[in-house]
Amino acid sequence: MLDRESSFSHPEIVALLKNDFVPVAIDQAYQRRQQDAEGRFYQKIANQGPRKVGDGGPTTQGHYIATPDGAFLDYSNHRDPDGLLEILRESLEQYEPTAVAQIEAGKPDLKFAYGPPEGGLVVRVHSRILGGYDETDDPMKRIFQKGTGRDNFWIRKDEHEALVRGELFESLITRMARFHFVDNTRGEPTMWEESEIVETDLSLEDGVLSGSIHLKIDSGKREYRADLLGFIDVTAGQISRFDLLAKGFFRGEGQYTRGAPEGEFPLAIAFTLADGSDIADAVPPQGSRGWLDGYIR
Amino acid sequence: MILTTAIGIMVMAGAVTQTDFDTLHSALQPTGEEVWRTIPWETSMLKAQARAAEERKPLFIWAMDGHPLGCT
Repeated sequence: MLDRESSFSHPEIVALLKNDFVPVAIDQAYQRRQQDAEGRFYQKIANQGPRKVGDGGPTTQGHYIATPDGAFLDYSNHRDPDGLLEILRESLEQYEPTAVAQIEAGKPDLKFAYGPPEGGLVVRVHSRILGGYDETDDPMKRIFQKGTGRDNFWIRKDEHEALVRGELFESLITRMARFHFVDNTRGEPTMWEESEIVETDLSLEDGVLSGSIHLKIDSGKREYRADLLGFIDVTAGQISRFDLLAKGFFRGEGQYTRGAPEGEFPLAIAFTLADGSDIADAVPPQGSRGWLDGYIR
Repeated sequence: MILTTAIGIMVMAGAVTQTDFDTLHSALQPTGEEVWRTIPWETSMLKAQARAAEERKPLFIWAMDGHPLGCT
């Protein structure tokens, strides 16, 4: 979130990345574990930097610059655009273009290399906190306060077919509730356990999806109650519209989403069918990370 | 509970009205004007490597916990 609104909105950084680099964005939780050419190439680069794979550290996250054959040039994990600009410039000065062969993909590690379910749907999910933060002059805090969370919701083929018939499978409702009615506006959200679904009361009638949901952890320190309204259209036997809005009040935060407003705050979550035009449409749902079967069941 | 938000929307407890839907659902969609989206991000290390080899450019890897184009 911070990177998107600070470093990757800086005109000079954007120009450099467009013209002089090949930029790639990854969730390193996949590539640092992946036992295939994709993973090995990332691990080769990361292991030349300060956060090595397998050294016991929790993450290898950061900004890496490397040659096409995987020689490390530089690394940064700062959110300061000026620092990033400096290492981009320095790396370009060091870099000497040479002929490099394309790496053969070979057999993918299917535990990490997977796509949306065949015959299913990809639905974009955007979330935003609508109020409740204290006013601040801190530009970084303001980015978080105004930020929009983004994820993808995957729908299975049988659930898609049921929607076409006007039916709403329980599995779809449960997946949406557990993994997508979350506050992901400040980072990786804590998902809900199935036992934390207090109530899902949803109906689909004549293409109108409506109802309410209530999720809560035992302590009551994290909770979301929301009402829902949505519209589902079918064209030629396929879902051609899946628009849904959840509007309600959230309470609490997760391990990686500290800094939520105090008490209850309004959180809206919008779902809309992806058409593949956004690069992020290809990103697996956060809830499927390392546990696709658990997500898609 | 009633709150007026930074984007001027009245948030009230209760059912979502058609007006709520029309206003909020569109307000939450990307505008297409976000600068970071204009960067031609790859999402595969191997595809990026192939492009970098062909174009003889260095790789810039944005590696995060959680996908950078998604929820981080």
